[in-house]
Amino acid sequence: MSSECPAIDLSGLSVTYRTRNAERRALDGISLRADNQLVAMLGPNGAGKSTLMGVLCGMIAPDEGTVTSPTTREQLAIVFQTPALDELLTVRENILLAGAMHGMSKAGSLTRLSELARPLHLDDRLSDQVRHLSGGLKRRADLARALIADPGVLLLDEPTTGLDIEARQQFWSFLGSRRRDRPMTILLATHLTEEAQHADRVLLMREGRIIADDTPANLKHTLGDRILRVQTTDPSAVRDWASASGHEFREGTEMVLIADANQEMLASCPDGRATMTLAVPTLADVYSWHAGVCMELEAAS
Amino acid sequence: MRTLTPTLALTKRELLRQTRQPSRVVASIATPLLVWAFFAGGFAGAVGDVDASSGTRLGAYIIPGMASMTVLFASIFASISLIQDRHDGFLRAALVSPAPRWSIALSKITAGSILALLQAAIVLLALPFLGVKPAPVGVLGALMALACISILLIGIGLAMAWIVDSTQGFHGVMNALLMPLWLTSGAVFPVDDAAGWLKLIAYANPLTWAQTSMRLSLGMDNASQSHTTIAWVVTLGSALAGSLLAIIVLSRSKPTR
Repeated sequence: MSSECPAIDLSGLSVTYRTRNAERRALDGISLRADNQLVAMLGPNGAGKSTLMGVLCGMIAPDEGTVTSPTTREQLAIVFQTPALDELLTVRENILLAGAMHGMSKAGSLTRLSELARPLHLDDRLSDQVRHLSGGLKRRADLARALIADPGVLLLDEPTTGLDIEARQQFWSFLGSRRRDRPMTILLATHLTEEAQHADRVLLMREGRIIADDTPANLKHTLGDRILRVQTTDPSAVRDWASASGHEFREGTEMVLIADANQEMLASCPDGRATMTLAVPTLADVYSWHAGVCMELEAAS
Repeated sequence: MRTLTPTLALTKRELLRQTRQPSRVVASIATPLLVWAFFAGGFAGAVGDVDASSGTRLGAYIIPGMASMTVLFASIFASISLIQDRHDGFLRAALVSPAPRWSIALSKITAGSILALLQAAIVLLALPFLGVKPAPVGVLGALMALACISILLIGIGLAMAWIVDSTQGFHGVMNALLMPLWLTSGAVFPVDDAAGWLKLIAYANPLTWAQTSMRLSLGMDNASQSHTTIAWVVTLGSALAGSLLAIIVLSRSKPTR
């Protein structure tokens, strides 16, 4: 796909959920262009990640904005937070059904299935009903379902939720090799900074907005070589100290983040009972920094 | 894309699901057999009555009604699978796939009707034992009328299942909607002998005409040519309306929020 027509091209998307008594802005003027990249959306629940995916796959109509690409459902596939497989069908039947729903012939689906089954370690489980598979196998079968029609855009909505470390590694290892073989744009919604770490771009999202958009390395670089995390019961004192020493900081309820910190600061903190951690900035730090609050994402904790 | 491919694949899925659930296989065969045994046998032996309008014994008279009741329950099961698909997450994958939404409706109607007909056919097997020996073409006509009933009921059911989120709510709505349809269709009593107000309701009920079409096909009713024509036009029209209702509701509804 050329850069003039990126795989994902949307601008000014806004979605508001309305109930009888309240309304909540789920997306607030989101614009995004991506082509042949793994783009990770990192943010807490309610940040708008799943809503954005819903708009992209046509399940949610935006109040404002346009989706220029992808324009048809043939171009994209989605892996949901939980597998979208029929538990009573076998793995093979589920994947062939997905192929048929994309209008593929049985022969075409079988050929594609044979390409997918081996690298996903599904080849000896194709005849098993999905209900008899482990969580990791279900995930890989669901990924095969999504990839059967060879989509140009793959949406992954927290795809490794509930998986152990090994299953996660297998999942990402397969997708990595797949991306090396053929161009594919992946939009990933995740809470896990360790997953976002491997993305080409990270979108930090909060309250329906993209608050930062850059490579993981660049995002972390904005906080300097080291960041000081100060867990304190007296954040105002720590804030004043950081300010007086000319460091940028962000303050939360019981946490203060100080950018571009150094070893000497550990000895001069005004709160003697504070717990201090001097570390290389993580994406969780970057998120907390940009969000203006100290949210403990999984990787940070 | 080839639009028939997803419809056939989804229909096959519905049929496979039926065979993979032993409880459903047993229930789908046991239900008509129990109906066969208790209603037909019970009415034939205990009442031993004769329906004056057609000269048919009451035990035989209610068999088409029991067949349509079997279709009614099978149709509710077919419709409720839409709610189950939603809860299992399968529906999301179907909705975001390129498959047209009408293929989802059509596959459920087709598979549900096939299963409903198989069950109803078991009920109809009771007829020869109750003195009714229809011609093969008559049996085909009865099955066609039953198929129309099934298509109508599954169509209504799918439209309801699309709107109602819980199985409990769905059962409530369906019981309130479909049971009166069945009860006032002449399934268990001749409509012509009913009270005036009930007769009016019955004639406005499409199931009544489907019952009539079935009985006419089985030689259990005598009617004029015009009456026969009306019965079949309403029956076929109802099936068309039912399937269109499901297709329109599933296709035209705004994307979920």
